[in-house]
Amino acid sequence: MILKGRGLSKGTGEANLIVSSEPVSFLGGVDAKSGRIIDERSDVFGESIAGKVFAFPSGKGSTVGSYVLYGLVINDCAPVAILNERSEVVVTVGVIISGIPLVDCLDLSLLRTGDMVEVNGDEGSVNVEGVEEVHVVTSFLENEGKILLLKRSELVGTYQGMWAGISGYLEKGDEAVERAVIEIEEEVGISSPRLLKEGKPVSSRDENTLWVVHPFLFHVDSPKVKLDWEHKEHKWIPQSQIPEFETVPRLIKAFEAVVQGLRHEDGER
Amino acid sequence: MELLIALGDIYDATRLIPVTSVHISGASYKTIGDAGLKFLSEICKGCHTKAKSTVNPIGMDRERYEEMKVTEEFVSKQKEIIDHYKSLGVLDSWTCTPYLIGNRPGLGEDIAWAESSAVVFANSVLGARTNREGGPSALASSITGLTPDYGLHREDNRKGNALFELDFELEEKDFASLGSFAGEICGTRTPYFRNLSASEDNLKTLSAALASSGSVSMFHVEGLTPEWKLGYEEDCEKVTVERKDLEEIANSWNTNDSPNLIAFGCPHCSTAELKRIADMLRDGWKGPELWVCTSREACRKAPDSVQEIDKQGKVLCDTCVIVSSVEDFSETVATNSGKASTYLPSLCKQKTMFDDMETLIRRFQ
Repeated sequence: MILKGRGLSKGTGEANLIVSSEPVSFLGGVDAKSGRIIDERSDVFGESIAGKVFAFPSGKGSTVGSYVLYGLVINDCAPVAILNERSEVVVTVGVIISGIPLVDCLDLSLLRTGDMVEVNGDEGSVNVEGVEEVHVVTSFLENEGKILLLKRSELVGTYQGMWAGISGYLEKGDEAVERAVIEIEEEVGISSPRLLKEGKPVSSRDENTLWVVHPFLFHVDSPKVKLDWEHKEHKWIPQSQIPEFETVPRLIKAFEAVVQGLRHEDGER
Repeated sequence: MELLIALGDIYDATRLIPVTSVHISGASYKTIGDAGLKFLSEICKGCHTKAKSTVNPIGMDRERYEEMKVTEEFVSKQKEIIDHYKSLGVLDSWTCTPYLIGNRPGLGEDIAWAESSAVVFANSVLGARTNREGGPSALASSITGLTPDYGLHREDNRKGNALFELDFELEEKDFASLGSFAGEICGTRTPYFRNLSASEDNLKTLSAALASSGSVSMFHVEGLTPEWKLGYEEDCEKVTVERKDLEEIANSWNTNDSPNLIAFGCPHCSTAELKRIADMLRDGWKGPELWVCTSREACRKAPDSVQEIDKQGKVLCDTCVIVSSVEDFSETVATNSGKASTYLPSLCKQKTMFDDMETLIRRFQ
C-alpha cells in the first residue's frame, strides 16, 4: 500500500519501521551516541531507532532536540527516515540540518512496527511492502430517522457475527456508488434507494490488509428488508446507538465520515 | 537563511519578518555533544548577530567548574562552544531566563526564541510573538535578523484552544504539576486557565512545566496575562482540574526520598527567589549538597543573598542541573521544578524528589 502525506525533508530511505504512539522529545528521549530510546515512559523504551524508519505522532519538549537529531547522523546511528502525524518545529529543524527524510500528515494507525517501508521525502509518500489495499463500499440505510445494521452470518469470509452496514468489494473499474446500489439490492432486496450522502474513504489496517471503506448514506421508503446468506439478523436503530453494538472495525468512523460527507441534492442515482 | 526559507515554505509563511530579539538554545556540551560543536564551528564562522541575542545555559559555571566535578575534556569542549557563540557577538548571558537579564521584549514584538520554557514565558507573560524555535533555527534568526511569518506571529493563531478551570487555590508547588498536567493534554494547543492567581515566578515555573510534558508555546490566564482577552475557541476541549490530578503528577516525581543533591533554579532563579532561599538558609543547613542555579546577572543584582547561600551551598551561574554532568556523582536529586523532574531521570539517570522550595529546605535543615 502507498500512503500519501507531505514531504517536509527531502531524500529517500527504506528500512523496517518502529512505531511509537507517543510524542517524542529527542533531548532526554533518544541517546545521540547509540540511537536508543532512553525515556522510560516511552512505549518503545530500550529500542534503537538507528537504521530504522521511526514513526511517532509529533515532537515535544526541549528545543535542543534538533541537535540530538544532528548528533545521531554524525554518530552514524540516525533513523533512515521519520514519519509524523503533524510535524513540530524542533524535529523539522533537526531533520533539515541533518538531511533525514521526513513525511508528515500521515495516519500512523495504519502502520505497524516491523513493516518494511520505503519513504520518499521528495514526494511525501510511504510505500509499505506486503500490505494489500482492498477497497470496499459500506452503505448505511435510513428510514424514518433510523439506521439499518446487519449482523454478518457465519458464511462470510470476514468478521463473522459482527454488526455492519451493507458492504461489498469494489472491483477494478467499479464506480463506488454503483457497486453500493448493487450490494443493497443483493443483500437486503431493496431497489432504487435514494442517495443522501457520500463520505470520504476511511482506512483501517488489519494485519497485511489495508481496508479502504467508501461510505454512503441512502434513504429507503420502507423498513422491509429481505436478507440473503451474508447476514442473519437486522435492526433499525437510532444512530446514537451504533456504539453499543459489536461492529466491524471503524464502522463508527465510516458513519461519521458519511455524516460529514457531501450531500447529494438530486437524490437520483 | 536556507533553513528559515525551508521552514517558511513548510508552514505557509509568505514572507520573512525582522526580529528584535533572539534567544538561542543548544549551548551545553552535554546536550549537543561533538556533533553540535561541529555544527556551530561551521555555522558561526564569519557570521555576526543582527538582533539582540542571548544564549541558554552551558554545562558548567564558567568560574566554579572545578567544584562541579567536570572532566578536563568537558571543560575544554565547553569553552570551545562558548567561543563560537561569542564570536557571533551574543550577549554574555548563558541563562534560560533571558527575560530576567535585559532581553525582555514587549507586547506585540516579533522575536525568535528557542528554549521551550522561555518561548512559553515570552508569548504568554510578555505578549511578545515567537514560534517554538529549535536551537539551530533561532541561531539562523540571530545571524539573519529574520524569521518566517507564520504561527504565533499572527494574532489569529494566539487564541486559547483548551480551557482549564480550577476550583481550588494553588499552592506554590502546584504550578509545576499543573503545567505538566495541562502540557500533556494540550500537546501543541494553547491552554486558557480560568481562576488562577499567580506571581511572575509562578508563571515561570508553569511555563517550564507546560513545555516539557508537551509542546505548548503559549498560555493565557484569565484576567492576568496580557493577551487573555483574545479568549478561547468556543468549541474547544474543557477540563476541570482537580487536586488529585496534580497530586498524581507530584507523586510520579517522587521516586526516592534521600537525595545526594538539592537543586533549585530550573528555570534559573530570579533575585526574589535568591532572597527567599537566603533568608531560609540563615537558620542553618545540615542537608546534602545544595545547588542554586541562576544567571550571572541575577547574582550581580543580589550580592547579599548570594553570599548567604554560598555559606551553606553553592550558587552556580551559567549552568543548571539538567545540562550539567550531575550523574557523575549523584543518584537522586531533590528539586522544586517540574521541568527538572521530567528531564533528570532520562537525561541524567537520576531518581527525583519533588516539593516546593520551602518544604525541601525546612526538611533538610
